[in-house]
Amino acid sequence: MRILIQLLFLCLAPSLFSQGFQVNFQGQKQQGMGCAGTALPRDASSLFYNPGSAVFLNENSVIVGGTPVFANVLFIDSASNGAYRTNSPIGTPFSIYGMFQAKSSAKLKFGIAINTPFGSTIQYEDGWIGRFALTRLSLKAIFIQPTFAYRISDNIGIGGGLVISKGSVNLQKDLPIQDANGVYSHAELAGKALGIGYNFGIHLNANKRLNIGLDYRSKINMKVNDGEVTFNVPNSLSANFPNGNFTSSLPLPSVLTLGAALKLNRSIKFVVDVNAVGWKVYDTLSFDYKQNTSSLSDTKSARCYKNTFAFRGGMEWVALRCYSKSASNEIMVVTRIPLHELLVRCGGGFGISPVQNGYVTPETPDANRAYGTLGLGYNFNQKTGIDLSLYYTKVKRADTNIETQISGTYTTIAWCPGISFYYRW
Amino acid sequence: MVKNILPLISLLSIGIIFSSCKPKIDASGVISAGEINAQHFVAIGDGTTAGYMDDALYHDGQFNSLGALLQTQLKLVGAGEIYMPLMGNANVGTNANLLSRLILGYKTDCLGETGLSPVRFAQQGEGSSLTTSVYSSQNKFTNFGIPGLKMIDTYQHYIGDPNDLGYNPYFGRMSIDQFTLPAWSGMWSTVSDNIFNGGNPTFCSLFLGIEDVLPFAKSGATANPMTQLFGPPGVGFEESFASWANMFSVQNIKAVVGTIPDVTQMPYFTTIPYNGLNLDATNAESLNQIYGPLGFSFTVGSNPFMIEDPNAGAFGVRPMVEGELILLSVPLDSVKCHQYGSVYPLRDEFVLTLAELQEIRNQILAYNQVIRQYSNFYGLAIAETPDFYSGLNDGFVYNGVSMSAKFVSGGAYSLDGIHLNPKGNVFLANVFIRAINKKYKATIPQINALNYPSIYFP
Repeated sequence: MRILIQLLFLCLAPSLFSQGFQVNFQGQKQQGMGCAGTALPRDASSLFYNPGSAVFLNENSVIVGGTPVFANVLFIDSASNGAYRTNSPIGTPFSIYGMFQAKSSAKLKFGIAINTPFGSTIQYEDGWIGRFALTRLSLKAIFIQPTFAYRISDNIGIGGGLVISKGSVNLQKDLPIQDANGVYSHAELAGKALGIGYNFGIHLNANKRLNIGLDYRSKINMKVNDGEVTFNVPNSLSANFPNGNFTSSLPLPSVLTLGAALKLNRSIKFVVDVNAVGWKVYDTLSFDYKQNTSSLSDTKSARCYKNTFAFRGGMEWVALRCYSKSASNEIMVVTRIPLHELLVRCGGGFGISPVQNGYVTPETPDANRAYGTLGLGYNFNQKTGIDLSLYYTKVKRADTNIETQISGTYTTIAWCPGISFYYRW
Repeated sequence: MVKNILPLISLLSIGIIFSSCKPKIDASGVISAGEINAQHFVAIGDGTTAGYMDDALYHDGQFNSLGALLQTQLKLVGAGEIYMPLMGNANVGTNANLLSRLILGYKTDCLGETGLSPVRFAQQGEGSSLTTSVYSSQNKFTNFGIPGLKMIDTYQHYIGDPNDLGYNPYFGRMSIDQFTLPAWSGMWSTVSDNIFNGGNPTFCSLFLGIEDVLPFAKSGATANPMTQLFGPPGVGFEESFASWANMFSVQNIKAVVGTIPDVTQMPYFTTIPYNGLNLDATNAESLNQIYGPLGFSFTVGSNPFMIEDPNAGAFGVRPMVEGELILLSVPLDSVKCHQYGSVYPLRDEFVLTLAELQEIRNQILAYNQVIRQYSNFYGLAIAETPDFYSGLNDGFVYNGVSMSAKFVSGGAYSLDGIHLNPKGNVFLANVFIRAINKKYKATIPQINALNYPSIYFP
């Protein structure tokens, strides 16, 4: 008991070691262990983390999970000391996995992963000082990834899938034009986006204790083709701001992950992941309006993101494990599935921000980020179980944006409690 | 084992969640008065300090004046209530010619084209405000912003005398004299008499000098001579300012003083381009016939306007050159429809030539040298307002909003093209606040300009 609590604090306090608008909540087991698990096949969420490792799971299974994001941003303007907050709606990253095999311990597996690795909604309070840069941004991207995985040998598995990303973007801001009552004008840009990419992974069982995993998720360019822009401006200026169409695109970066998993003993496992994220693709955010006027020209805003790394790690401890008497005599091919099992997880990570000084924007008030996670897993019987996770981070970034001259300090606190259920057969 | 762990972890988690769900505002933004005592603050100045804008003094403008904005921030460090000689709250306002304030409305020009243009808010200004005393012995005014006030006026008795040519009605309505010659002194009270009546201020802002050159510039350098540099207080700029600086020092008053911007950068002087004469082939040809003998030729497209210039050859007519300015007072309908500025050259009063501009700018430089020299000697904070006005001319971005000196669309100037609008006044007030903070080691927060209006569009 005491050891457990000490371990928990050990994990939390120095926060071992996600960024931009990336969301790293694709599996509760991994989330409990600091969002790492590329080299540890634990369940069907491996279809996302590393399709190559999924082949070492001898099961058909379905997982449904979600992680509400409770994030709050505080911005302090450096010149006026004014304090402004977000009242963003609760984020709802979710994931659904299904993994199937033709027969027990088959070499070929088929799976489908549906999840939301990118996206966020951020909404600032009315009248905030950055309202002419942004009042609300909602970015959604749902990844649908049909996947095949193949076990080449007892030690090596490969897997890959096509990623179809369907999404939407809704950006709103005020315009510094006042009507006869002093009310500021408003612009809303909304559109649907589509992009295609892939996910490929290799898994290696180096020895009885150590697994290595390597996974590459490609960049996806989300194109908005027939977005609609709506202006709310004084009548005398309506000809200058015509409602109409726009095109834009948003690149979602590639993620290359090298992971390792170490089985210390029957009760304790450690995992580490290193992500190399190709954020450099997010160089410019541009909006191309179909109809330009003297007041409405196409915009190009420099984002100048840089490629970054994230380091994640965690552990899983079997607090309780008992086998049913009948099952304990059976010989299983890969693992013996306990009847009841309580798993305690903890972890943390550190991500380097892709946003350079001078380029911090209200839409992603990003900073180098340390976070901690906790997790619990429990199976009710050999087929069904539940996993819980809790993620916490607090980040702070002071900057003066070169383009908008918004100058101050963003502080973000995010709590993300997650839950998932699985069924396997 | 399970029974013990679960409640413990949930307790731990809930505890953490409730303690820090939202980021807290830390105490890093401590506000301090530094070395100043803001308790009895008085703002001294001209229309900018008074809140004159849109070519009138009106109620809302007064609350968005340099004086009121400064005092609002100084209240954070102990300044008292703001007392101003308020105009009527119907916001009609008035200028010295009894016209109401300007708003943006629709106007049809001589070509029959209707477009956005400054128009008067009402048929008449609230003239009665200028003849009604608002003096109150209980609530001493904290804002001595007086539209039209020159540096030299502050020591003159005539600006309080309703029968004098130099009378300033905006001062008359707020003066302790209440339109009656004080029997005890036999002289009309001056601005400084009013300010120091019944106790000294502890902190002052002083932003004067624009009006010492502006009337000259607005006349196209044909009338209203600029204040001379030398001469006794009330006559010469230098000694008038020196008296203020000395008085602050003697009375142990800390103060922030503004240097004077180049008034010729204001939209009133920069909106109409010198080469805004656009000609088609027919017009160019006919002008070539008229001016050809004088050696001037015209081409299709943009051409410089023709102006009167006594020094330009035998006929006293020439095309404008780059850098010369046309004033917004020029009758635009005549320009558009009656060949004014081409067949008929623009009169001198609508134009500032290079030589005239040089004269005005040199005078401002000389004034500013005086202000800096005496302020440094007496340890006053200097608000370098020319940096802000020039910055506006170049354009800058503030919290995602582009600001410029462009007429109407620039966002900082009011519809008279000379005085700033509320948003512009905030930027100016922030220049003064930064100067105070720097000189007197204070940490008074600046004002968020986006909370203040600029121009309302119909």
